[in-house]
Amino acid sequence: MAEELVLMDNVSRYYGRVRALDGVTFRVFKNEIVGLLGDNGAGKSTLIKVLSGAVRATGGDIYIRGEKVDMRSTADAIANGIETIYQDSALVTQLSIARNLFLGREPIKGPGFFSKMDQAKMEEVATALLKRVGISKNIPVTTPIGSLSGGERQAVAIARAMHFHSDLIILDEPTNNLGVAETQGVLRFVRNARDTGHSCIFIAHNIHHVFEVVDRIVVMRQGKVVADDIDPKKTTVRHVEEVITGMSESELRSAVAH
Amino acid sequence: MQRLISRPEFGPLVLLIVELVVFQSINSQFLSVLNISNTLAFSVELGLVALGMTLLMTSGEFDLSVGSVFGLSPVIMWSLFNSGALPLEAAFVAGLLIAALIGFVNGWFVIRLKIPSFLVTLGMLLIARGTALFITDGFPQRTWDASGQWLAKTLVGDFYVGPFRIYMSLFWFILAAVILGYVLTQTKFGNWVQASGGNPNAAQARGVNVGRTKIILFVLSAVLSAFAGIISSIRTSAANPNSGTGYELEVIAMVVIGGTALTGGRGTIIGTVIGIFILRIMRNGIVMVGVPGLAYNIFIGAIILGMMALHSGLERRHQSGN
Repeated sequence: MAEELVLMDNVSRYYGRVRALDGVTFRVFKNEIVGLLGDNGAGKSTLIKVLSGAVRATGGDIYIRGEKVDMRSTADAIANGIETIYQDSALVTQLSIARNLFLGREPIKGPGFFSKMDQAKMEEVATALLKRVGISKNIPVTTPIGSLSGGERQAVAIARAMHFHSDLIILDEPTNNLGVAETQGVLRFVRNARDTGHSCIFIAHNIHHVFEVVDRIVVMRQGKVVADDIDPKKTTVRHVEEVITGMSESELRSAVAH
Repeated sequence: MQRLISRPEFGPLVLLIVELVVFQSINSQFLSVLNISNTLAFSVELGLVALGMTLLMTSGEFDLSVGSVFGLSPVIMWSLFNSGALPLEAAFVAGLLIAALIGFVNGWFVIRLKIPSFLVTLGMLLIARGTALFITDGFPQRTWDASGQWLAKTLVGDFYVGPFRIYMSLFWFILAAVILGYVLTQTKFGNWVQASGGNPNAAQARGVNVGRTKIILFVLSAVLSAFAGIISSIRTSAANPNSGTGYELEVIAMVVIGGTALTGGRGTIIGTVIGIFILRIMRNGIVMVGVPGLAYNIFIGAIILGMMALHSGLERRHQSGN
């Protein structure tokens, strides 16, 4: 049995009287990619926000590497080795690749609040990182993020998580609005992250993308985990769709027909 | 060459050169020693305000109260000094501290109460201007009592370099431009300023304290406005409670003409310095070539629209990766 990295134990979250998470228990093991699936409003986003420190749980406990943690802010999550990559809000488009990679953790020369950034070091590390993450094109690290494609942006965000030794990388809809080749690139970056010792939570509406890359599928419905150990190699997309919607195959066909 | 042209400062620089050539070709006195000296003296006072505004706008906020602070701080300083309540140095510090407090309140309202900076600083514009008028009953405060004091000499003393009459305020402006240019482009704080304006959520998620960064910039903007207002009051021998009226829009125009994005995320101190001179030379030049001074705003409006069109085109090219 692989070592447990994250355990969210009986976690709940209420928005007023709305129960977005209802006693959820969710695990991530070391060196695995977990696909988190569910329909709109199933509770995926809330689960991720709780784990990434963006919102606080109303009840339940979170354990990282077996130790109970109080996740009060995104800074707490980062300190605990959890990096969340939202598709549109992970990077600053006006800043260069190198500056984005080190944003908030810039290497500095000399003391003081207005310390000079060590730009040579930033660029050297950034260049090596882009190679490591698998970007094949020769992109200068001084290029602004705004000039990169969607897939390249995901690669930069993943590279950042890898560089800062995040044990868990949460990818929220990383393949949204990407073309076929770009999507394959991002899936390759994700596998690369796992193969170099990182765990990932992969959230996507496109089940086929999830099947291509994850080791285990967790399904949520109406704020609860309804399946947490689906092996994508031993099941079909149709079956997972049934679990997501809670409908049988015939009900699904009928719903699609209408 | 392609890289130079794509820089945000390139368009404004070309405009500045065209301006100089056109005005000089129409009136040969335009680049005279006297005119250059006078233009420099006026430009740097507004320029100090524009430098602070550049960083604030890069962080995605702006400050409409700078003109009022430009008027209020000297009024407070000279009221305290003329009444004998404080020596000149302490009154100077009090003027700057009041400005810092105003900047902090602006920032606090914007960050903590999440009110747009347009509304917060519009309110502060009225409060600061109203306070200046109330304290003075609308009358200017005399400042000539301090003319021999070291502080006045340090801030605005003048001397000659060859035929040029140079005010000390030029050195304060150059110093502020160098320091703020360095901060914006070379330091981690500068990286946070740009990130706070470009994508505050991403910056926050990376552990950047976006709120604190912006509050610091609101304070900086107000203190530089106060400093510029005090310099102006000594140079003109009066702290007028109406001084600085309308400066806020002229300063914002200087900053955006220079290439700083109104929406935040991208800022340039070099561009602002060019923008300052574009507007001040335009103001000076159109009078010297015989265009009625009242037509000034027509030219400024046209320059703003032209520059915005240019920057927008460059931004689109930038985003498309060309």
